[in-house]
Formats: sequence, structure tokens, C-alpha cells
Amino acid sequence: MDIRCKDCLYYLPIDVFNGLCKKLKKNILPDQIEKSCFEKNKKCKYCKNFTLSKDDDQLGTCMGTIFAYPDMIAQKCVDFSQK
Amino acid sequence: MSEQGSKKCTPTSEYNLFGKVPDKKITGREVVKKPTKRAGVLRDRFFNAKSSVNVEFPYWYTRKWDEQDGDVTIVRRAEALKAAFEHLTPVIYPGELLVMGKAAYLRGSHPMPWLSEAFFMGEEDKAYQEALKSGKLSAGKATTWGQGGGNVTVSEGNVMSIAGKFGLRMEELSVLRKMATKFTGKSVEDIGHKYEQETPGYQEKEALMRSVMCMYESGSAMPQGREVINYYYPLQYGIDGIIDICKKSILEVAGKPEMDRLYFYKSVMIVLEGIKNWILNYAEEAEFLASFEKDETQKKEYLEIAECLKSISSQPPKTFREALQLTWIFHVSVINEDAASGLSPGRIGQILNPYWERDLKNGTIDDEKTLELLECMRVKFTAIDVFATAGLIGGVLSGNTFNNLCVGGLKKDGSSAANKLEMLIMEAGETCESTQPTLSLMYDEKLPEEFLLRAIECIKGGTGYPAFLNNLTAMQFHLRNYGPEGLGVEEARAWSMGGCLENAPGSWMPLELDGETHYIPGGSSGCAGVGVNFLSLPKLLELVLFDGVNQKTAERIFPPHGIKLDTYENLWKAFKKYCLRSIDVLILANNIQYDIWRKFTPSIVNSLLKPDCLTNGKDIGQQGSRYNATFHVKITGNQNLINSIASLKKNVYDDKLFSIDDYKNAILANFGFKTAEEVGSFSFQDQIKEKEYKKWERIHKKSLDAPKFGNDEPYVDNIFKEWEEWICNITHEFKSLYDKPLYVGQVSVSTHGPQGAVTLATPDGRLCGTSFADGSVSAYPGTDRNGPYALFESASCFDHSMSQSVQLNMKIHPSVVRGREGAYKFLDLVRGYMRTGAFHIQFNIVDSRMLKDAQDHPDKYKGLMVRVAGFTQYWAELGKQIQDEIIARTEYQKF
Repeated sequence: MDIRCKDCLYYLPIDVFNGLCKKLKKNILPDQIEKSCFEKNKKCKYCKNFTLSKDDDQLGTCMGTIFAYPDMIAQKCVDFSQK
Repeated sequence: MSEQGSKKCTPTSEYNLFGKVPDKKITGREVVKKPTKRAGVLRDRFFNAKSSVNVEFPYWYTRKWDEQDGDVTIVRRAEALKAAFEHLTPVIYPGELLVMGKAAYLRGSHPMPWLSEAFFMGEEDKAYQEALKSGKLSAGKATTWGQGGGNVTVSEGNVMSIAGKFGLRMEELSVLRKMATKFTGKSVEDIGHKYEQETPGYQEKEALMRSVMCMYESGSAMPQGREVINYYYPLQYGIDGIIDICKKSILEVAGKPEMDRLYFYKSVMIVLEGIKNWILNYAEEAEFLASFEKDETQKKEYLEIAECLKSISSQPPKTFREALQLTWIFHVSVINEDAASGLSPGRIGQILNPYWERDLKNGTIDDEKTLELLECMRVKFTAIDVFATAGLIGGVLSGNTFNNLCVGGLKKDGSSAANKLEMLIMEAGETCESTQPTLSLMYDEKLPEEFLLRAIECIKGGTGYPAFLNNLTAMQFHLRNYGPEGLGVEEARAWSMGGCLENAPGSWMPLELDGETHYIPGGSSGCAGVGVNFLSLPKLLELVLFDGVNQKTAERIFPPHGIKLDTYENLWKAFKKYCLRSIDVLILANNIQYDIWRKFTPSIVNSLLKPDCLTNGKDIGQQGSRYNATFHVKITGNQNLINSIASLKKNVYDDKLFSIDDYKNAILANFGFKTAEEVGSFSFQDQIKEKEYKKWERIHKKSLDAPKFGNDEPYVDNIFKEWEEWICNITHEFKSLYDKPLYVGQVSVSTHGPQGAVTLATPDGRLCGTSFADGSVSAYPGTDRNGPYALFESASCFDHSMSQSVQLNMKIHPSVVRGREGAYKFLDLVRGYMRTGAFHIQFNIVDSRMLKDAQDHPDKYKGLMVRVAGFTQYWAELGKQIQDEIIARTEYQKF
């Protein structure tokens, strides 16, 4: 899996095109690939409870039944469990 | 206008001027002030940010909504809102003093598929096609979008453009569609559509919508806003205090008659828990940011933010800053519970003054710190977006969300309410020029000269704000309209401007601080902008002339009126017949949509804030607010209608130069001109003649020469007066969902652009597709030839207190008001108008050539702002229809 800035704990979104690195305070792009300083944010795609849909790689289920999507930030989700 | 094939005009004819032709050089602003360093950085970041949506809020709402299936609807909705609030990802930008926002983007917003979903479905989708057929998307097709600023006008890379403005990351598209599908057939829009079809005349209503004679339906598209928020309860009691009120009230009402009160109180408690958790999540994020922050000052600020948020998550605010932060939180909470534009903070300078004066006395704040905080507030308000259809966001709102802040007016005891904090609010509006909150000054003869001159200096800076609103005229309107609900003179003084120009009733609430009671004003009604939203009067006249058929599409809108237009009286008779029919079919459908809204997605956050919902246990939709007669009929194109009627009276009925059929033929031939669409400009001046122009030259000239509104000419002004008196009175005959009489709203916002675009030439000589005159008593561009005081005489020819917000825009060249002398002269001009009893006036102090240059070179003018019609907007974010219309407005070179 690509390691993109938008999936990092320190990614601060400004808009759909641009963001800031909370740590380095520099402008970054959400799809920028940064391996050196990347720290995984809590997102559904990193959660044990999430299952990716076979038909659509932008959809899935949470705990087998509830609709969900892989890119959602799950920082405040009580059911989040790191893969 | 230019000759055939030649678009270039001579400099003198390129702009509508009253007075001398200006020098060749573009005149800039007299004074350009700068924001504090902090606000400058924050505002620059805003300038570079695009309007962005994500689906976090709707995802958690929908997920919880599904889980709560079977519960009482309002409680189910409360749980859904709670889940949505407490799962929002906190985003705090470096340098911010005030934090929190709608969504996890700087200019963030989000869809609400439970309200309406069809417009963001794929075009192939059945729901989209159904919406298209019923005319719900027609206004969007007639709208032009600003191509610059923060608008995401095209899809690119991983970003999809929605409604010509909003960017959505592609990875969220599938889930958005999934949620939209879940609500298909179950949204307010869809259920409303199901039942509105039961109303008599429904087919006519659909045809009206398709013809863009009506811009949008507020019940599903924008059910809240155009009103004044009330911050009293959070300030007085804090969140825990409100929860305690609910707990006590539940014990009093559970099991008793009127059981809905139980569910309301329960819902308020649930939502407040969600808001509380949302605040605490931000506090946690601030502490997280502080944990690795190396800059000591920034670290300290993050910790101060955390401390402030933790305190106000439960307790009433103790300082000005805490109070400002708390009011902002509740502001965002309301605009997150519903699609809302025009939720106005109202008279916040008076509401927060007790805190500010106390801090000042304690030495914990000074003017400099206050100004910085107020500038930060401006940046936050300017970043508010609302996600809705292209027709609504572009065609009505021009991308603005109309958060109107009022200064001045009177206190509860009738003395001047102006204060020093409000002076600083105006100062911040000047130093940190930004579109929101827009400012309005409630003009009263009791206001001090210094205060009024401060406002004048702010306007001279070119911000377009504050607008001047006549306090006494507004009070008279409120007494007329809300008197039957118990509003008296004292409470009439508590009014404020909701939205761009929807004045809304208020009340005085007793804020206690240090043992003293301060009566603070706040909104006490629901949306004051719901009902028939923008009935196009010139298009209605077109239907009258062509016996009910829309000539643009050849679709029959109404059955033939059957009236021979052989007399002036018969012309009016036919017009009134179609006018009444339009209001009838539109308001019946609107009442149903609003009923569905209140049943399926009742307001909880806004309701808990509004007196007297918490007292009587009823939400806004159940008439829990103190005042509920807030439904209206908004009209557009007043001036073109009256100029057209005057032209027909003069040329057909009085002088008998032409027949009605002559006019019909001339209109169909567009008086021998190309259409605005063909020319690519929506300004009358830029239109190009066709070869056969000569054939129509005489009738066109006579139409242009007929008496025009705005020149103090009784011939046309008397028609205007008669029309206003008729429409303002007859509108009371129609009833709202709450069985209250309707009133007339007279603000065009941006609708004069798209509604002009779908209208053929009019008998006043206006050409096909060009914009109508803006506002309700602004002269049609270039037709006011007798100076400002003649315009004022015309504009005040009827009683403005009969309706909501009669609006006048003027454009003045900066050289006319230069210096202190210019400021006094300017104030005299404003006073002169206010003393006629007129309600509203606002100004663009700008050189028209600068606007033209900005149109050609938008990158040079990123921060350029203009006054549109009740709001200030960045030039680059305006559609061409409105840009052209503002350039065309008469520029006063002297007065």
C-alpha cells in the first residue's frame, strides 16, 4: 500500500488539493508519498473491523454489516482497532 | 450598446455615469488598511483554499440514523446529530485563536442527503432525472459561476467538482452516492415532492420552476438561516446548565399531555452531549499539537485554546474570548444541523459587550488584542460555506452565506445601543477586509455622529459594508407583522438583520454577569426567508403578454388568462391574475415541503437557542419560537416590471404609438439585437445590434425613452406606489404552514442575474437574457439620470414598512467621497435617504473601470470585494451575470 500524506497522523487538510504537515509545518499534497516521517493515522482501512468491498475499492463494511469506506478518519471511533 | 459587429465602445459610453467622465487612470481606494500579522496569515491561507466537502458528518449521521430506526423521529435525529458532531475530525490551523469549523477543511462543508440528494447523484440516476423534470434543477442551468477564487469549477485528478463550486475527493464519492441512494425517496425533498403533487395547480407549479420564474424551494434546499441566531442560553447557563434545564423540564412533562415536549427536551440533551464531545475533541487536538510544538508562543496558544475549550464545554464563559469562542461554536452547530445560509450573528457587539467591558476593566484585554480577535472572527465567518444546488449557491447566493452582523440601533429602554466594541468591529471590518460577517448599521437619529462617521470611513474603504438600515422603519414592519403575536415597541427594538436582508424579530434576554443584568438582543423566530423564493416579475409580465406560454421554451405555464389587453386596466388585471396564481401554487407546495422538513428533520440546535422553545418544550417547527409569522413572497425585477408597465402605458395606451402585438413582435425579435447569451455579456450596454435593427429602432427608442423609475417622475413612481401597495396587502391573504399571513420580501440577492437570463426582452427596452435591476428600488443601470436625490424620491415613493427589506444599491466613484469633507458629504447623503423613511441603502465605492480590469485580469484582484445585493463578495467568485450587472450600475461622479 502506498504511504501518502493524507493517511498520516500529522496531515492537516486545508482543502481537497492541499494540506499542511502538523509537525514540519510545510505545505504538502494529500497524495504525496512520504516514507521517511510517515505515522499512520487511524483510518477505517487500518482497522481490524473493516472489510473492503469486493466490487468497489472505495467502499466496505464495518464489523461485517455497517457500510463504511476505507479512507474515513476514525480518530474518534470507539470501535477502531488497529490492524 | 454598440453598433453591429463592433463590441468596442467609446470610453464615455462604456460605463453608465452620472456626472463628469473620470480621468483615464483607474482610481484606487482612498485608504487601504492592513490586518494584524496573525489575521493576515490566516486570511492569506483562506485566499488560497478551495471550497471543499467531505462526508464525515453525513456518514456518522446516516449510520446512527439507521441504527436508531424505530425511535421517535426527533430523538432519532438527535442521536444522529450527536454521532455526527462527536466524530468530526478536529482541525486547528497554526496561528488560530478561535477554532472549530463545519468540516475538516478550511472552507469545509458537507452534503445532507436527508434533505436533498438528487443534485449530486449521477445524471443517469433516476432521482436526478426526476428532479430535472420537476424543475428543481432548472435555476442551476441558468446560472453562471465565478471562475476564480475558491470555486472548484472543474474536476481534476483525484478531485471531483460538484455544483460548479465544491471539490470532493474521489475516494469519498462511492460512499456519498451510497448515502444518497439510502435517502432516495426518503429525503425531505423526495417526500415533499410526493405530497406537493396533491396540491391544486401542481402542474403549474412545476412549470413555474422549470421556467425559473421561481428560484428554489426552501423547505428542502435551505430550511434554516435567513434569521438571527440567539446566543443567550449558552452564555447565561453554559452547556451543562442547559442540560440541567432539560432534566428538570423532563420531570415536569413526562407522562403528561403534550408529550412531544418530553422528546424535545430529551433531544436537546442528546445533541448537547454531542456538541460537548466535539468541543472536547478539539481541546484534545490542541493539547496534541502542543505536545510536539517547538515554538513556545504557539505551544502556549495551543494550551490556551485547550483550556478555553475545556471550560466552555460545560460552564458559561468567563471572559470575552471564551464568550466569543462559545458563540462561534453554537453558530457552527446550527449551520451543521441543517443546510443554512444567512444565519446571522446579529448584534454580537452588544451581546458580548458586558464581557468585553469587564475584561477591559480587569486589564486582561485591550483594543489591540480585541482587534486581533475580531479579525480572527472575520476569517472564520468568511470561510463558512454551505453545500447546495448550483442554482441556489450560484444563482441566489453567489457563493456567499450571508452572516450579517448588526451594529447600532436602540437598547431595550430606547437609548442608543452603539458602543465602543462595535466601533472596533467596524475597524476590524476595515483592517481585515473579508466578506463575512457582512456589517449592517441600524440607523437611528439617536446614534452618535462619531459612530456614523466610523461606518462611513469603513464604506469608503471599498468594503461595501456596513449597509445602512432604518431602525424605525424596521420597527414599524415588525410591529405590523409580529404585533398579532404580542410584539410591542420595546421588543421591536430587539430586531436585527437575518441573512443578507431578511430582517428578523428579536427579544431581550437577561444576561447576568457579576450580579448585574444586561438585556441582550437575539433572534426569536425561525427562518425569516421561507416561502416563495424569488418570483420573477418581468417573466410574469412576459407570460401575460403571451397568454401563459413561456416563449423561451414554448411551454404553457398557465391556462390562457382570457383578458383582452386593450386597456391599461386590463393589462394590470391579467398581471394580477397570474401573479396571484403563481403565489398560490408556489406557497401551497412550499407549505408541504416545510411540513415534511419539520416532521422528518426537526431543528434541535437552533431551537434550543431560540426563545421560547426551551420554555415551552417545542421546536421551531412546532412554533416554539416567540414569533412565527416568518413566511414570505420574495420578488425580483420590481423595477423592470414597473418600467415596462410605464412604457406600455405611455406608448400603447396613452400615446397609442404601438399596439400590444407590436410589442410582442419586438420582444420576440429582441428589438433587433443579438441575445445576451450570443454576445457573452449580460449587461445591457454590451449588447450588439443585428442587421434588422432598423426595423425595431423606433419602438426600442420609444421604450427606452418612456419614463423610468429612479428620476422622481410621478408618471412612473405612481405606478410603483400603486403596485407596492397592492402586492404588500394582497400577500397577507395567503397563509403559511402556521396559518399566519405572508408578507413581501424585497431583496433580489443574485437572482436578477439568472432570472434575467431566461427572460426575453421587456417592454422597457431591456434586452433578452440581460440581468434585471438589482435589489428592489435600485434604478435599472443607466436609467437614473437626475442624480441621487431624485433616485431617493423615487425609491421612497411608497411606505417601506409594508414589507421586508426594500433595498437600494448605489455605486459612487471614490473621488466623490474623498477626505473628511467627503465623509461628511457622504453621511449627509445617507441621512437624506434615511429621513425619507426608506429602509435600506448600501454602496460600492469603486471605479467601474477597476471592475472591468478585474474581469479581464482576475489574478491581479484576488482580494477585491464588491457589494452585490445585501452582501459583499469576492469579485473573482461572482458569476459573469452579476459581474456585468455591477459594472453596468450607474456610477455617481457627483452628488
